[in-house]
Amino acid sequence: MTKKNKSAIQRRLIPTYIFLSIVSLISVFPLYWMISAATNTSTDVSRGRLLPGSHFMENFRNLTTQQPLWRALGNSFFYAILTTVICLLVCSIAGYGFEIYHDKGKDMLFSILLLAMMIPQVATMVPLFQMFSKAKLLNTSIGFILPIISTPFMIMMFRQNARAFPVDIIEAARIDGLNEVQIFFRMFIPTMKSTYAAAAVITFMNAWNSYLWPKVIMTDNNAMTMPMLIANLITGYVTDYGMLMCGVLFCSIPTMIVFFVLQKQFAEGITGAVK
Amino acid sequence: MKKRIFTALLTGAMVVSMTGAMAVPVAAEGDNKLTVWAWDQNFNIKAMEIAGEQYAKDHEGFELEVIETSSDDCQTKLTTAANAGDYSTLPDIVLMQDNSFQKFLKTYPDAFTDVSDMGINWDDFGALKQSYSMVDDKHYGVPFDNGAVIGCYRTDILKEAGYTIEDLTDITWSRFKEIGMDVHEKTGKYLLTSEANGGDTMMMMIQSCGANFVDENGEPFIAGNETAAKCVELYTDLVKNNVVKLVNNWDEYISTITSGEAAGIVNGNWITATLMGTEDQKGLWEITTMPKVDDVETATNYANNGGSSWYITSNCQNVDLAKDFLASTFGSSTEFYDAILPATGAISCYLPAGESEVYNEPNEFFNGQPIFSTIVEYSSHIPEFTKTPFHYEARECVNTAVVNIVNGTAQEDALQEAQDTLAFKMTE
Repeated sequence: MTKKNKSAIQRRLIPTYIFLSIVSLISVFPLYWMISAATNTSTDVSRGRLLPGSHFMENFRNLTTQQPLWRALGNSFFYAILTTVICLLVCSIAGYGFEIYHDKGKDMLFSILLLAMMIPQVATMVPLFQMFSKAKLLNTSIGFILPIISTPFMIMMFRQNARAFPVDIIEAARIDGLNEVQIFFRMFIPTMKSTYAAAAVITFMNAWNSYLWPKVIMTDNNAMTMPMLIANLITGYVTDYGMLMCGVLFCSIPTMIVFFVLQKQFAEGITGAVK
Repeated sequence: MKKRIFTALLTGAMVVSMTGAMAVPVAAEGDNKLTVWAWDQNFNIKAMEIAGEQYAKDHEGFELEVIETSSDDCQTKLTTAANAGDYSTLPDIVLMQDNSFQKFLKTYPDAFTDVSDMGINWDDFGALKQSYSMVDDKHYGVPFDNGAVIGCYRTDILKEAGYTIEDLTDITWSRFKEIGMDVHEKTGKYLLTSEANGGDTMMMMIQSCGANFVDENGEPFIAGNETAAKCVELYTDLVKNNVVKLVNNWDEYISTITSGEAAGIVNGNWITATLMGTEDQKGLWEITTMPKVDDVETATNYANNGGSSWYITSNCQNVDLAKDFLASTFGSSTEFYDAILPATGAISCYLPAGESEVYNEPNEFFNGQPIFSTIVEYSSHIPEFTKTPFHYEARECVNTAVVNIVNGTAQEDALQEAQDTLAFKMTE
């Protein structure tokens, strides 16, 4: 390619770059505004100040004085990690089973499972509450995580990705003497790392942001998670926007870290890559 | 091998932590402990904690646990528990918004306890405030914070236009319009700010006349309601003549005040806490009565907006203790109200509290006015009106009608549509 052609192509790309830059700025702006607002006073935020201020420590102090920030962060981490680990295990086993083993009723069962995705969470709230009440699981960690450790979406995702898993490996493993459980743990899991990473990101975020169900069944201050803490910051007669944004910042950082760390695998997993 | 040990340790840690977290804190079953759901750390929760401390001085071993639960969450949790027929997750005492309670009591009558016999003089609270927590002459709640409506104005902006706070005291909305148009012409500022959808101005206007957007039977009464028509006419006129700055949401509402775009705000007195956060406007604000609706015989300069009351739930294991606790503090103690005023800014609706020294102290932010006693005094003049469990639905329908009228729809058509929509919502 000649130099002339190259520069002509680059010139043609300029509008694209400008457009993409504008879209990127619009996408990043809420994040910037959140960080900037966390450093300003409530009055400055409500007056629309966009530049960073010098009140971050004051907002942070107010937040930690008025709300159990560290406990909420600890609880959120505990529930999110626990949910992610169990959900990945349960859903991957289910997805693997649906794809690898064959049975007459399998597809019918899977269709019923997918239909469950159509039911809004709010509609299941009262029956779930009744079930958990009878099982004496209200206000317990098990009650908190049980409804979200197996989701039709995750099972579907693992099933779809398991289609790319070479069946020959399973046959070879059986010949080599591995039983079905060993094949799953030793062959399937290591091969499907990207899928697990993508599923981990999605599950962690969902569990981290989980609000309604935990709020309904947990009746103890010690069970407060970050979304509950944020909700408490906006329900008073006076909203301290600086403190609120400081809380939102702390709530967002863990999910951002998880996403950025697993970003590459997430992209691969979503597109169904097998390594 | 290392991996296996690590896995075993991790699993063990999880099991232990889950078991630990499973220790269920059972709702107060002890003789001397009460659990409470409330929201707002600096206001309701702090007031309740002070009440707990005061009560504990005379009652050894008394314990109070306040679980921070937003108003919406209180309602969601209550609804879920009631629909599931299991009230075991409810606390002993719950705080509820005055405008929401009627709906909950009518829908879930077995969720609350009748407290009529708790031994307090109910007439120490304004008649309207009592009525929010009453059904069939029975008291279900102990009134707490005061929602008396006040008009707050920036005196520096008024002065620039040649007016004082006296010019806005005990006036009608049409006089308010004249002053507002003049202020806008001379200063470029609006005399009032109001939310388009979630705003309460229309509700405050009609309730200041002792009326509502429902009739005595609780049926929608918007079309053909002369008082409603007058309120809507006055309000839309204010919007069309640049007297009211109509904004989309609460954040913009506050922003118009902090930025100085609007010179006034008419709302429940709890709005003073937000205003006082704008320290650079200290001494510039003053309060007075809200304007009254013209040409309506029952019109007054007083209304209520917001406020909440404490309710004892049917899950309370020690009703006598809960009643005695509320009666000794929120129900009868001026010392208690004197203590919470400086600590929380919570203004009492317990009328004797307004006579104390603390309530009569001048407030620097409001140019030295003794705003607390003034507000308590206002609350004694608020007229009663027919309540509806569909308060928020009625508000939404009327606000939509106002926006439609401002955008060109004929008032009669807009009000008829509001009436039909409200009737439909009542059937949902």
